[in-house]
Order: sequence, then structure tokens, then C-alpha cells
Amino acid sequence: MVSQPTTISRAAEIVRISRIFDFLLLVPILLVIIGTYHLSMILTVGDWDFWLDWKDRQWWPIVTPLMGITFPAAIQYGLWKHLRLPIGATVCTVCLLLGMAITRWFAYHLWTNYPINLVLPATLIPGALLLDFVLLTSRSFFVTAILGGMLFGAVFYPANWAIFAPFHQPVEYNSSLMTLADVSGYSYIRPGVPEYLRIIERGVLRTYDTYATPLSAFCAAVLAVPLYGLWSYIGKLFSTTRFIDKF
Amino acid sequence: MNILTKRIIKFGIFALLLFSPELFAHGERALEPFIRMRTIQWYDIQWSKNTVDVNQEIVLSGRFHVAEDWPNAVVKPDSAFLNLAIPTPVLVRTATYINGAIVNNSMALKLGGDYDFKLVLKGRVPGRYHIHPMMNLRDIGVIVGPGMWIDVQGAAADFKNPVTTLAGETVDLETYGTANGIMWHLVWLAIAAIWLLWWIRRPLFIPRHKQTLAGDEDALITSLDRKVGGFGIIGTLMLITASFVQADQKYPESIPLQTGRTEIEPLPMKHDVVVKTKRATYRVVQRSLQLTMEVTNKSDKPVELGELNSATLRFFNPTLQRFDSNYPKELAVEKGLDVQPNSPIAPGTTTTLTINATDVAWHNQKLASITKDTDSNFGAMLFFYDNAGERYLASITAPVIPDFGTN
Repeated sequence: MVSQPTTISRAAEIVRISRIFDFLLLVPILLVIIGTYHLSMILTVGDWDFWLDWKDRQWWPIVTPLMGITFPAAIQYGLWKHLRLPIGATVCTVCLLLGMAITRWFAYHLWTNYPINLVLPATLIPGALLLDFVLLTSRSFFVTAILGGMLFGAVFYPANWAIFAPFHQPVEYNSSLMTLADVSGYSYIRPGVPEYLRIIERGVLRTYDTYATPLSAFCAAVLAVPLYGLWSYIGKLFSTTRFIDKF
Repeated sequence: MNILTKRIIKFGIFALLLFSPELFAHGERALEPFIRMRTIQWYDIQWSKNTVDVNQEIVLSGRFHVAEDWPNAVVKPDSAFLNLAIPTPVLVRTATYINGAIVNNSMALKLGGDYDFKLVLKGRVPGRYHIHPMMNLRDIGVIVGPGMWIDVQGAAADFKNPVTTLAGETVDLETYGTANGIMWHLVWLAIAAIWLLWWIRRPLFIPRHKQTLAGDEDALITSLDRKVGGFGIIGTLMLITASFVQADQKYPESIPLQTGRTEIEPLPMKHDVVVKTKRATYRVVQRSLQLTMEVTNKSDKPVELGELNSATLRFFNPTLQRFDSNYPKELAVEKGLDVQPNSPIAPGTTTTLTINATDVAWHNQKLASITKDTDSNFGAMLFFYDNAGERYLASITAPVIPDFGTN
């Protein structure tokens, strides 16, 4: 005689299968985000994020958050709109950090002998947390774009200063004034990255004395707002559920 | 795949590595011949030794001439950086001297100038490496000098790279700041993990999507969630501020990254031997470059042509016995230069010389394809010697006419 499942055991079974499905889906999603977001940052931010002696106070705080807000905005849209999950930005930046950590450790440190401090990545997690918190509390993409986007751009430099400040100590090296970061970049030979490629405060932002960093942070904050809007829209286009809703 | 197939594949890969020296090269033959011949012309390259211990210094020195007839197809050398073609930083650079001056940055090069250089390096990662001097040229690429095999001996773990800051603290650049950086990454990663777990512990995809579709999405966010979000904003901003202020107080004398250009004048050189090239022919079948040229000796001693150097490929006149046995064998042709008439040029006279630089190295070094370049002017340096051993340099250039041997 075959026993029939009770209502309670069937409900428990459904919950269990649903959780298994969650994690079966979560793993490939995370792997895809690690791969694509990391690749996107390599192609757009590139040397600014790879090398310690590229992280200047004018371009690095602009380029990195502006290129970094792309995936968080798009993924955040999809997860909030269809699942009411305010974790899209944080998921992306954690995935990015994992991808970077793997690359820097295995490819740059173990394989090509660079000291890990020369290739320390920057963190985008603080800005992403703020982006998610603002979305959760405001429940509005518009407010998130204005407030969250601005915070994402503005906090990038101060949040990373604790990591990179030690390398900005001055050194007299071969009769020149350099930072420890400059000396490191000079010492550890990179045949494909000659010194002249570095874009160190090159440009016309010259009239504000030594206040390049606050201006760059402000610039990043303002520009992050429309970029958040653009990438949210791209997230909207790519996160349609119309193919699964019929089931 | 059976065992035999696997073994054949393994053997094939091994054989490919073993018998393909190109696999170990640094792309020194990749640039078109006219660029390699008429931009940076390397000479007198020397290593102080070919074996170095970890932490011990080794010096690479030499000279380079910046060709007068710089190709029109490439930009002028306004940004150049003396570098090394090296398989990862197995040596570290401690100092660069150009014409005796310290150079940490890039520099502009003057056409026709000669520069003396010295790179002071330190052994870091044990192994046997093929290393070249190299000039990075902005918007052009790299001009690679002759490579040598260097052995680094010892233990990599013993390597230290101490630098003393202006505050008087001596740090090891190998590891400095790494623990602090990783610690801050872990702090933010931990906060992010808590935030993600806060949500992932609940049902994720199907139940939430169904509820959203049903229009009941607001029930998915509790008032506690919103409070956590509010505290999250304040807490994150406070932590960012605290970490920034702490770092700022700990390193009050921090300065921005330094950049700049170094200006170095070329070496003062006497050009007492003047050469005008009349005709240059490359005989494809014989792999021979024939030059007819007018040589004027303005010095007060008779001189003889001892060597032709084009894109690091050196042809020696056997009569003068100036062959450099330490030079890479694939780039040196001991008896490759035939000079007619092979006799000294008297002071104050002008003589027409016909020379033939012949060897398969033209082909092996991918220089023979000069005849197929868009700019088929070749470039080389000639080294004349007087009977006291003094050397006279002349840089030459001329259009190369190919002789395909079909007539």
C-alpha cells in the first residue's frame, strides 16, 4: 500500500526544492557576474586598477567609480524590480573583488612574480552598500540615482584611502622625490607598461591648487547620477521576465 | 583518448618548446625592419656578469644611437623609456643612468644623438632568463636590444627591497602595506557578507518573484529591513570617515604620485668619418647587402672599416679581428663583412668603398623583408678604427634596391 503525502510534508518538500533551486541558480549567476563585471573593469579601468603607481588623485577617482557603477546599477534594477532584493550592487562588487583577488593572486603574484601590494585592487564595496541601502530605504530608483549614485562616486576615494595612503609616503630615491608607490612601479619591471603611459593628473584641472581630489570626487559623484540612470535602463532591458512569467 | 595518444601530445608539446627558440623570445623581430634599423641603434651592450645571486647587483650598460633618418611613418621620440625585456620582474631595477645622470622617468630623445646608459639591477627570482635592453617609444612600440642569458641564484624568499621614507622608516617594498590592504578588503567584505546573508537566508527567486507578480512586493520588505538600511547608510558613512581620518592622521605627510620628464643632452661625439651611401642593393638569393659608399676621413689618422651593425645584427671585417665573442651568436657574423678596397683610408682623403654584408642572419632576424616594407630605406652604423684602436662611428641610410636574382 502506497502512503499519500500529507499537506504539511508536501509544503516542506516544495520549500526544500525551492531553496535547492535558489542555490543552483545563485552559483552560475555569481560566476557570470564575476566573469563579466571583472572583464568589463579590466577593459575600461585597466591599468588604473591594476597598478599601485597609477592610482593618482585626479583620474583614478573619476574613472573607477564611473566604470564601476555600470553592473551594480543594471543588476540592482533587475533584483529589485522582479524580486524586491536590495542587494544587486553589493553582489556585483563582492563578485568583482573575488574575481580581482583570484587574478591578482594567481596571474600577477604567483605566475608573473609581482608583489601583491603593487597590484592591490581598489574596493567598490562601500559605495555599493550605500547604493543598496538607499534603494531599500527610499524604494525609488529616482532617489537612488540622485543620492545613491552621488554617494557611490563621492565615497570611492575616501573609502580607499585607508588601503593606499601608506604608499603615498615621500621617499628620496636616486636624488628624486617619489612616493613608495612610484618607487615600487619603477623597481618591479613591467616591459609593457612604460612610465610615460601613466596618466598622472594630466589635464586642465589646474586652477584649484592641491584640491584635485575633492574636485575629482565631486565630478565622479555628479557623473555617476546619469550613468546610474543609463545602466538601470540597460538593466531593465535585459532583466525581462516575460519568458518565465507564463509558467 | 588512449595512453599512446596522450604521450604523443605531451611529447609534441615538449618538442615544440625544445626546438622553437622563438617561444622564448620577446618579440624582438616583430617590428618592421625599417623601424628596427632606423630608430634606436644599440651598441656596446655589456652585462657586468652573467650570474647573480638574489639581492646582489648586476649592471647592464651600453650605448644607443638615435638614427638621424627617423622614419616618417612613426612619430618622433618625444617620450621614451629605457626598459628591459624581461620575463616578469625576476630582477628589480634600482637605478638608471643615462649619460651619467639619474633617470627615473621618461625622456625625449634627440635625433642623431648618442646616449650612454647603465641599468643597475638586483637579483630577485632564481632561474635562467633571457634579458634584453629595450626602449619603449610612445605610439611606436618597443625597440629591443641584444639579449643575453642571465642566471639568478639563491632563494626567492631571501629577497628584500628596503626603502627608507623621508620620515626615517625603512620598509620592504616586497610586502609593505599588503597586510593593511588585505585587512581593509576583508573588513568591507565581511560587512557585505553580512548584508548578503541578511537576504539570502530567506527564500530567493521563485517565492519572491511570485509575490512580486501578485503585486504584493511591499510585504517582502519588513520595517526591520528598512531600519537596517537606514542604520547601514549611517554606519557605512561613519566607517568610511573614520578609516579616512585614521589613515590621514597616520600618514600626515603623504604626497601625490610623482611624474615628470627628464631632459638629457646627447653625448658630445666627433664625427671624423663621413659616409655618403651611393647605392644599396639586397641580393635576395645570396642574402647579401651590397653598399657602395663614399667615405671621407677627416681625422688625422688612417682608418679602416671594422664592422657594420644594423638592428643589432653585427657583421665583422675579418681583417681587423674585432669580433666580439661575448655577443649573442645569432646576431654576430664573424667573417660576414667584405670590404673593397680593404685598405686604410688616409687622413683627409675620400675613398669609394664597396662592401658586402652576407649571411643568412638577414633572413633569420627578419631583416631581409626590408625590401617589402612601405619605407624600404635601411639604416646601420659603421665602425671605423685607426691603428691605435680608436673608434669612429658613422650612421648611414639609403634606399635598398632588391635584386631577386631573376635577371
